[in-house]
Amino acid sequence: MKFPGLVENEMLKIAKQRRFRVVVLILVALIGLIVYGSFRARDRFHVKDWHVEAQERTAWLQGRIRDSRTPPTALRWFRFELARLQYHLDRNLDPDAISGPLFARAFANHASYLLLPLLAIVFASDIVSAEFAQGTIKLLLTRPVGRAWVLGSKLAALLLAITLTVLLGGLVAYLFGGLAFGYRGWEAPVLTGFRASGQGVDPSAIRSVALWKDAVLAYGLAWFAALCVGAIALLTSVILRSTAAAMGTMVAALIAGSIVPRLAPSWEAQKFLFVTALPLPDYYSGSPPPIPGLTVGLAVAVLAAWAAAALLAAFWVFTRRDVLA
Amino acid sequence: MPAPAADVVLSAQNLTKRFGERVAVADVSFDVRAGEVFGFLGPNGAGKTTTIRMLVGLARPDRGTIRIRGLDLATHFEQALSHVGCIVESPDLYRYLTGRENLLHFARMLGDGAAGRIEELAALVALAERLDDKVSTYSLGMRQRLGIAQALLGNPDVLILDEPANGLDPAGIREIRHLVRSLARERGMSVFVSSHLLSEIELMCDRVAIVHRGRTLAAAPVAELLARVSSDRLLVRALPAAAAAEVIARFGAVEPGDGDDREEPAPEVVARVPPERVPDLLRALVAAGVDVHTIERPEASLEEIFLEITGSQTV
Repeated sequence: MKFPGLVENEMLKIAKQRRFRVVVLILVALIGLIVYGSFRARDRFHVKDWHVEAQERTAWLQGRIRDSRTPPTALRWFRFELARLQYHLDRNLDPDAISGPLFARAFANHASYLLLPLLAIVFASDIVSAEFAQGTIKLLLTRPVGRAWVLGSKLAALLLAITLTVLLGGLVAYLFGGLAFGYRGWEAPVLTGFRASGQGVDPSAIRSVALWKDAVLAYGLAWFAALCVGAIALLTSVILRSTAAAMGTMVAALIAGSIVPRLAPSWEAQKFLFVTALPLPDYYSGSPPPIPGLTVGLAVAVLAAWAAAALLAAFWVFTRRDVLA
Repeated sequence: MPAPAADVVLSAQNLTKRFGERVAVADVSFDVRAGEVFGFLGPNGAGKTTTIRMLVGLARPDRGTIRIRGLDLATHFEQALSHVGCIVESPDLYRYLTGRENLLHFARMLGDGAAGRIEELAALVALAERLDDKVSTYSLGMRQRLGIAQALLGNPDVLILDEPANGLDPAGIREIRHLVRSLARERGMSVFVSSHLLSEIELMCDRVAIVHRGRTLAAAPVAELLARVSSDRLLVRALPAAAAAEVIARFGAVEPGDGDDREEPAPEVVARVPPERVPDLLRALVAAGVDVHTIERPEASLEEIFLEITGSQTV
């Protein structure tokens, strides 16, 4: 079985080129910048001591929960909020302050629709085209290894590289966030499951989960989105055989994806575009979806369909096309 | 002279490849036998590289079959190519990796202990000392040799080299030639070499096929080919030219030279004299008091050879 060796080859090529180091550098620099910015902005909010503030709110919530006139939906909400305040007071944490874990969790949302896909594109767009540019494709495809296995090993290495990037992003966000805001707070309860219904918010699906569970889910979704973008970028790399052209095409698509929902919010079919489906963590945590009808489940399905179609096309073209470069 | 099938290691039958309207390779057939160095000779653009790309599975022929050790490349790609090592066009390797990393990379694609041959092959191509340097620091000759080491990793039965002398200095060309000859003689490897230089093929190969505008001639031993095309043209530079022309006319036809006599001691006269009469011609020239400065038999161009052999002007 040669496949593990082939994947090792592809990982070696990714690691030995400058690209991987650049990606690490981008992640570290960008996250460092964001942490520094929010650290400087944080001190301006506090008017009075947060202990006093939190205790006042606890007392008020307890009063409302005892009050028989409080509607049951609000009661649920108040109980969640009380539990959250209590958790922070017990641990002597500011309930409104950002913590390292919270920062890392928020990074998943913000990185999922542009930064992580972009880094996935950086890896994917030259994984095939570079072999054409260097002329090494002539050696790679004249070895006793079927072309499908060659592309398969490249795909596996690409998925590995993207996975490492997402993990690294989360890790750096936590390390830097923790440095500025403290490393504790993974157990803190957070509310999730907001769902838009008509004009308001449907509270029945709201639930409280530990932050770490929420973060694992958010990173899992961001990871899945990045993998799908990588698969689509692999197709452009196979078809265009030029790193610059492949990267340009994918970046243009990403940018279009962030413009279209703003310019044409009422166009319903856009929920079937892969770029509008990218902010999976946002759809999951229930920030009001900018596109009507786009739920996290549908977004995952849309991305998976695009990625599967792209992979099919990439394998079809790669295994059939003459190499004359 | 059809070779017995068991002896044929690489066989191409009726290969045809079109690019749109243009026919790049038309009905090319040849057999490469075990242990021989087979030349594939043709001018640039004759279809050599396209043919090689089909032989190694980079391009699919529109028509025709390729068999390597009897295995059809179209249906048994992996088994067939496991008997082949090749360099197509230029020896392109990963420049950001070291020589050793490159060889390891391709050894992993072969499996079965190919990595164990790296040291031996590096020594064979005289790269052992530079094996841990990045390929980007190698000269073209070193990259060519690393390319050959790479091609030999799988201990192939057939080695396919596309214009291996391109861009090399005379010493580099000589090294490659010696390597190719010794691989065929000592390891019984078949080597398929393409070139646009007759002189190179003449020195390296046992048999040769000529390709011209996408067509090939039946392969023939190199000596036989040279004998068939040995022309009766002689270039004579002698003074006085008029007296020389007079003498030569007694032995054969005289044609005017190309007129480019600027840096020459004497004007050029082209004589059509059969080889066996040349000694007599020389004696006669000397007896007539003509000063002979140079006399040479120019090598026939590929174009001439091709036309000579096909005897056709319509190719």
